[in-house]
Amino acid sequence: MNAAAKHSQAMHFHARAGEKVRNPALQRALQKARPLFVGKRQKGLASLAEDGLDFTNLRSTAENIRNRVLADLDVWLELFEERATASGAEVMWARDGDEVARLVVEIAQKHGVRKVTKSKSMLSEEARLNEALSAAGIRPVETDLGEYIVQLAGEPPSHIIAPAVHKSIGEVEALFAEEHGRPQQARTSADIPAMAREAREVLRQHFLSADMGISGANFLIAETGSAALVTNEGNGRMVTTLPRVHVVVTGIEKLLPTLEDFATLMRLLPRSATGQSISNYVSLLTGTRARDVGALTPGPSPAGRGEMGAPLHDGQVPEGPEKTVFILVDNGRANLLGSAYQDMLRCIRCGACMNHCPVYFSLGGHAYGWVYPGPMGSVLTPLYTGIENALDLPHASTGCGHCADVCPVGIPLPSLMHRLKEEQLARGLRPWSERLALRVWAWVAGRPRLYRWLTRRVARYLDWLADGTGRIRIFGLAPAWTAERDLPVAAGKTFHELYAAQKRK
Amino acid sequence: MSAREEILARVRAGVGKEDAAGRRITAESWLAARHCGPQPVIGSSLVERFRSKAESLASTVATVVDLAAVPAAVAEFLALNQLGTTAVLTPECAAGDWAAAGLTVSARSAVDADLVGISGCFCAIAETGTLLLLSGENSPASVSLLPETHIALVPVGRIVATMEAAFALLRAERGTLPRAVNFVSGPSRTGDIEQTIVLGAHGPCRVHLILIGDIA
Ligand code: SF4
Repeated sequence: MNAAAKHSQAMHFHARAGEKVRNPALQRALQKARPLFVGKRQKGLASLAEDGLDFTNLRSTAENIRNRVLADLDVWLELFEERATASGAEVMWARDGDEVARLVVEIAQKHGVRKVTKSKSMLSEEARLNEALSAAGIRPVETDLGEYIVQLAGEPPSHIIAPAVHKSIGEVEALFAEEHGRPQQARTSADIPAMAREAREVLRQHFLSADMGISGANFLIAETGSAALVTNEGNGRMVTTLPRVHVVVTGIEKLLPTLEDFATLMRLLPRSATGQSISNYVSLLTGTRARDVGALTPGPSPAGRGEMGAPLHDGQVPEGPEKTVFILVDNGRANLLGSAYQDMLRCIRCGACMNHCPVYFSLGGHAYGWVYPGPMGSVLTPLYTGIENALDLPHASTGCGHCADVCPVGIPLPSLMHRLKEEQLARGLRPWSERLALRVWAWVAGRPRLYRWLTRRVARYLDWLADGTGRIRIFGLAPAWTAERDLPVAAGKTFHELYAAQKRK
Repeated sequence: MSAREEILARVRAGVGKEDAAGRRITAESWLAARHCGPQPVIGSSLVERFRSKAESLASTVATVVDLAAVPAAVAEFLALNQLGTTAVLTPECAAGDWAAAGLTVSARSAVDADLVGISGCFCAIAETGTLLLLSGENSPASVSLLPETHIALVPVGRIVATMEAAFALLRAERGTLPRAVNFVSGPSRTGDIEQTIVLGAHGPCRVHLILIGDIA
């Protein structure tokens, strides 16, 4: 079993799914979020159109940019490493999540760190970083409001963009009351600004007192050796500006060649995620504070370039970390290169696929059992934790294909899931009954006369069961199917019969 | 084998190509070429576009004709919103007669107690109504981050069409990137409690832009 699989609950998908469907609070939260997510992206796409930009065209440009990086990833990684190092950062590499955790704890210990503020990073979930830090006596504080909420609840995020989408206002209030040491109050949606304010004040003190900041990177820019960070709350700026040490934990696939490529991706990422034409804060972070010694920006003037103004004085040094470390993480990614699943590495973690997935909105993110939910998770979890450890996930699909339509980098998610199912079969990983059924079906389908005769019988039988109503209320052969719904029945004739009849007309 | 060697070996095996040196030259020429993807068509006036986008992001916008008029415009905004008369400002903006406008300003990095921060910007982007701020000795990033109110001075001559144009300007005038390039688009926000948008998450709750120059 690989390291990531140890902590995956993906094998319990079936059992969890039942639990989630029967959880009314979760169902309410999901039903509330679904139209909002879909509507926001629609608005985002409309704003593209207003600017005379075509989504499909932009998507294929983005797809090409991502493919260019993956096709020569070794070269781009070396270029990035050289330039990041030259700009004053340190670059480290981690084979898997355990190695990430070990490196981060070592860096923290070396710099005498007692408290860490974190900006949202899915890779830190892969590495179970908070657990490792706490075990080493270092306090990790999640600062994205949604991440803060799930951290207080002791849960993993249930969505890659909206980590606490499954939590109701009442649940958030209970968590805040306990953590912030005050009595619980009755809350309505009118109180949400006050609750956000309360979290702001608590987290502000953490920002100011933390010794180290940990962030992910939405992208790495090879040209400049920089990390690009996209947030709305401003927590990304806080954790990369205030603490003495900044550690960027990110996957090796996150590279983009140039700033221009970044500009293209930035027209797609926020729109696909939250419908915004740009997120409130986008930061490009390069090197350490030493870069800014003597760096002066001209002040404002109507013509554009005014006086410099005096630099900071009285012993004030430039802001920012004294030490910046990039940890470039593999954890299963390199194995996908050159494989049938390479397309998945284009993913920019926008969340659009889950926001448009009927399965995600029936179950929520926790049912998927590991870090990544929704269609992208159904592909990534088996690939990163082992196909045999996530057998149900590639089947967690209605086949609607919406995820592929909305993906801003054109990842063919349904075909990747299909490929995983084929691989399960080829490796003998499906249950014997299913394998037997498929073998029988293949045998029958290879004998056209027998096939026609059999399907005719079945069609008549189903029609008889439906008793002319077109619906079967209780289906004795598979009672679970009709426990909460009717089974609709077609015309009582087989496709072949209908086709022949049509042709005669 | 070190983690670095092992990961790069796996990546090379997956990439499955020889001639690393040749591929490196191709990669470098891609960097040098700086191809741009599809860019939006921005209407005739960059200033108008910037202004309307910024307002749609919940920033407020005022205009003044020249630098000398800035302190009075700031004082007016602060008075209107009952935000006091004290501010921290980035040293790049220190020039100007702030005292005459009744304001007490100090040019330095911001601290938690600062309620109002005044900064300039390197340039601004019309496409999205965005400020581009560079970190530096005379432009500390905390001033646009810690205070609840951020006031930014935007010379209209520094408004460019797109992010690509901003990068071109940055390369032409600065060559390299400072520690932090911050694109700021309106006040900070969160939607993490029941998907309800709240302004003022961790960064400023209020962003006020003062456009400087001949607007007509
Ligand atoms: S697979 Fe596509 S839609 Fe899903 S998160 Fe990744 S980039 Fe977004």
